[in-house]
Amino acid sequence: MSRIGVFICHCGENISRTVDVERVALEVGKLPGVSFSTDYKYMCSDPGQNLLKKAIQEQKLTHIVVAACSPRMHEKTFRKAVEAAGLNPYLCEMANIREHCSWVHENREEATVKATEIVGMMVERVKKNRVLPTITVPVTKRSLVIGGGIAGIQAALDIADCGHEVILVEREPSIGGHMAQLSETFPTLDCSQCIMTPKMVDVANHPKIKLYTYSEIELVEGYIGNFQVTIKKRARSVDEDKCTGCGVCMTKCPQKKIPNKFDQNIGMRTAIYVPFPQAVPNTPVIDRDNCTWYKTGKCGVCQKVCGPGAVDFEQQDKLIVEAVGAIVVATGFDLYSIDEKPKGSPIKGYGEFGHGKIPDVIDGMTFERLASASGPTGGKILRPSDGKEPKQIVFIQCIGSRAREKGISYCSKVCCMYTAKHTMLYHHKVHDGQAYVFFMDARTPGKSYDEFWRRSIEEEEAVYIRGMVSRLYQKGDKIVVMGSDIAVGVQVEIEADMVVLATAVQPQKGAELLAQKLGISYDKYNFYSEAHAKLRPVECATAGIYLAGACQGPKDIPETVSQASAAAAKVMTLFSKDQLEREPIVARVKESGCVGCFACKKVCAYGAVEEKEIRDRQGNLIKTVAFVNPGVCAGCGTCQATCPSKSVELDGYTDEQVIAMIEAL
Amino acid sequence: MKHTAPTHDFEPKIIAFVCTWCTYAGADLAGTSRMQYPSNVRVLKFPCTGRIDPVFILKAFQQGADGVLVSGCHPGDCHYIAGNFHARRRFAVFRKLLEFIGVDLKRLQFSWVSAAEGGKWVEVVTDLTVKVRAMGPMTEFKELAMEEQWSGAINTPELQEAYNAI
Amino acid sequence: MPLTSQPIDTSIYSAITDAIKTEAERILTEGQVTAVVGYAAARRKGSAQPIIITEATDAAKLIFTAACVNNLAVYLTKAKKEVPKSGKIGIVVKGCDLKALTGLMGESQLKREDLYLIGVPCAGVLGSTVQPATGLTTDTIAPKCTECDAHLPTGCDFVPLQTPVTPELEQKYATEIARLEALTPAERWAYWKEQFSKCIKCYACRQVCPFCFCEQCLCDRNKPQMVDTTPRPAGNTAWHIVRAMHLAGRCAGCAECERVCPMDIPLNLLNRKMAKELKELYDHEAGFEVLDKGPLNSYTDKDDQSFIK
Repeated sequence: MSRIGVFICHCGENISRTVDVERVALEVGKLPGVSFSTDYKYMCSDPGQNLLKKAIQEQKLTHIVVAACSPRMHEKTFRKAVEAAGLNPYLCEMANIREHCSWVHENREEATVKATEIVGMMVERVKKNRVLPTITVPVTKRSLVIGGGIAGIQAALDIADCGHEVILVEREPSIGGHMAQLSETFPTLDCSQCIMTPKMVDVANHPKIKLYTYSEIELVEGYIGNFQVTIKKRARSVDEDKCTGCGVCMTKCPQKKIPNKFDQNIGMRTAIYVPFPQAVPNTPVIDRDNCTWYKTGKCGVCQKVCGPGAVDFEQQDKLIVEAVGAIVVATGFDLYSIDEKPKGSPIKGYGEFGHGKIPDVIDGMTFERLASASGPTGGKILRPSDGKEPKQIVFIQCIGSRAREKGISYCSKVCCMYTAKHTMLYHHKVHDGQAYVFFMDARTPGKSYDEFWRRSIEEEEAVYIRGMVSRLYQKGDKIVVMGSDIAVGVQVEIEADMVVLATAVQPQKGAELLAQKLGISYDKYNFYSEAHAKLRPVECATAGIYLAGACQGPKDIPETVSQASAAAAKVMTLFSKDQLEREPIVARVKESGCVGCFACKKVCAYGAVEEKEIRDRQGNLIKTVAFVNPGVCAGCGTCQATCPSKSVELDGYTDEQVIAMIEAL
Repeated sequence: MKHTAPTHDFEPKIIAFVCTWCTYAGADLAGTSRMQYPSNVRVLKFPCTGRIDPVFILKAFQQGADGVLVSGCHPGDCHYIAGNFHARRRFAVFRKLLEFIGVDLKRLQFSWVSAAEGGKWVEVVTDLTVKVRAMGPMTEFKELAMEEQWSGAINTPELQEAYNAI
Repeated sequence: MPLTSQPIDTSIYSAITDAIKTEAERILTEGQVTAVVGYAAARRKGSAQPIIITEATDAAKLIFTAACVNNLAVYLTKAKKEVPKSGKIGIVVKGCDLKALTGLMGESQLKREDLYLIGVPCAGVLGSTVQPATGLTTDTIAPKCTECDAHLPTGCDFVPLQTPVTPELEQKYATEIARLEALTPAERWAYWKEQFSKCIKCYACRQVCPFCFCEQCLCDRNKPQMVDTTPRPAGNTAWHIVRAMHLAGRCAGCAECERVCPMDIPLNLLNRKMAKELKELYDHEAGFEVLDKGPLNSYTDKDDQSFIK
């Protein structure tokens, strides 16, 4: 038989002014199971808590109801006090007779009756409360970072600097990502590689960072604190341990005319290559599709000239399994190839802009490579078609972005700023040239951003035309750009030498496949979804997985770096204890009743429900039932309401507790 | 908002099933803002509307509730991502079933009340109370509970007297 | 629409019977299946009963007639103890029964690869198997058959090459639902109160339902007692409400609950009403494809919320 103690708080006069607390104490004292009831001026004060603790010990109380303010206010306080007195904290409940009663009703009689009923309900509820031990989950203090752009690099460095091992996986042969491709960065115009490459080197030299480049995530198993990740390390054909990075192989390779993806395919590279001179690691990789040896079985020049004998044509892809406790996803973005109409995608192409057909219609990233001092033109703005300097250049913004009818409704966020930057870089490099920008509106929120944009107009002489381009075609060696200036209300026609399109930022190709491996959710554009748009912007709903950078949505560099550090801080929070402790309000499956329809699994937003096979001693499968991973369950209870046989129960909110309350009415 | 407690012939019992993150917090806010509303409502707190089983509503009516309120976070605000979306479907269907059985849906209210909407909580609770008060007691389920098998077995004064004595 | 009773052509059923026999014999002989669940003639003339055969020689017992009313899907779930556990099972299915199997596959209760489906082109079955047996007419046909949209089962392993002649019939449930919907809540309550008062809580409806596959029914629980277990009006009403809610979006209308009800409670009416609502709300129709998630296990952010303040 339970010995319930009920403590009615006056809250100074906040409750006792409208509720006759003595009468409530007297009335609930008569309820079966209640062996002690009293009222006190301030239950949350030290003397109040001591009264509670003393009563638990002296009266040998088994369950506690504190009738006071909202549990959102003081539930933790009283549960702690109850724990200190030797009871399980989950045997204590609060009855809210302040916010839900004394403060909202003036009639003393009504309020007293209501308070008595509220306490009565909680008394019936607490009778059904069970001892709930705190849940602990072991934590492997190593972390995986997926993606070696600025987001992944920042997150990896932050975590590693705190002394925890980081596995950094990059799909390309070198880390650096898109930031390494940029020429200068807004709003300060400092050289991207100058600020990026030191960080890349830090990664390479960090004793706590294990770097896998030219590698991809194959499989992710486990849950928060305990992931097993299988990484596929693709064959480089060059032994990383032997290679000194001298580069002789690249100078001798006879295949020299392969478009370099890093240079947006306007620069050329060899078949054995590093994507750019500052690559990390500085170990070449053989592009087997274009290598003469792989195509014909002849050549092998690189192998012959390699002093340390690092070239290995027989190298195979390798699968590596790493155990980690947390995962940071930082896979970044890709630019929308507007000439492409992806199959099965709602996104329609922009054939009318001639991208891919007219050679001098390029995208923003290609312009970055032209403007970059280490780019294919050595930093000169030259037309891809004939190598001439463009004297009239047109920038068109919002290509793909903010065009619902074309399939993408979001704003790509960085284009307004980088186009302003492009006009400046152009003006710096082509003094007698003229830049025009077609724009819908300029979105420049951010520190020093609007000033930067104004500067491009006021000091760098860019002509901004509000309106969209309707048509664009080649005429001789010019590109005729036709559009409207809606501010003035006239049609505009510009004979341009070059056109730069600010194409939409999209998630990396295959982002959805990685999400499926990780068990995280993504939106209709394949951007990864955060757990809460406002309050948990760097966490995934799947516990132990965090987001950084443009894989979550378009972002500029400062925002990406901030989010990467935030994600690292979340990882550090998780690693700050040896075991993850959590409130035991989680769902539990009663296996005897479960018939394995997995409705619970279907409604679980956290992927906490797994399938578990029950076998007899001979190993014969008896049935497959649901299993809720307590480390992953968030405790919403949607599974229980969905389960037809109620074979899954949310501790702390069981059917018994709820029905007891309803029956107490 | 000032609520003077009028006396009525009938005071309905209203049961509210609410989620802890939005509506319960909204009701707390109504309290901290000292808003006034009828004292008829009894609140049952759940982590999420996704936890609320239709059977609870049925049970509440059987236990003598004259009106039931189910309230949670606005779409997109769910603390548990999608609990309220699942609840929305579940209750959209359940209320159609109750309607078909003959329950007057004016007694069953659903609402989204956020943690910032203390005023809306007061409005929803007051409206439902006033509406149900005007409708009178919910007798359907209560009468069923009084009935014996083969409906109307308490058909003699003697039986009725004996039954009342129980 | 015929005003008087018209016979319904069931002449293809004898050819179907022959085809089922041949196919069952073949798959049992070849060892493709370990058992076949089908129909056999029962003791009385013109009646039929379910049968599970494991020997090829028993294939001759199989029949298909208008008296083959049962939804055999139930034998693969609750009564599965009678069906050999290992190996593939052959099963004779009408279009309506197939929908139940499809639903069960979506709920991880059955696997398609464990089944050999012998589909039956069906012009309709009898509404009642009360003796003496009658022919199939527009009067004696089961109400569910008046709304059938699956006379020819699809996606089966074998279907006899026959085309049923299916006259346009008055949709019995749709008519009745419309009638009840037009009443006031109090009138509807009176109607259902009368219906549920007949209930003797025999749970035949639960026993025969392929979707009531729970090992422990919520309505049998006593800790806590979610639903009154006594066969009194309060408990009966609660049971039927919970039953209809649990079947919402899953029941495809085999109407076995209604057929087996000894008290003639129009149970399928509730199920059809729920099906109608799910169609209107979420454009969901049960039983046509194996769904990853049922309509009440999924959502869209644009779902109707006009009823929410």
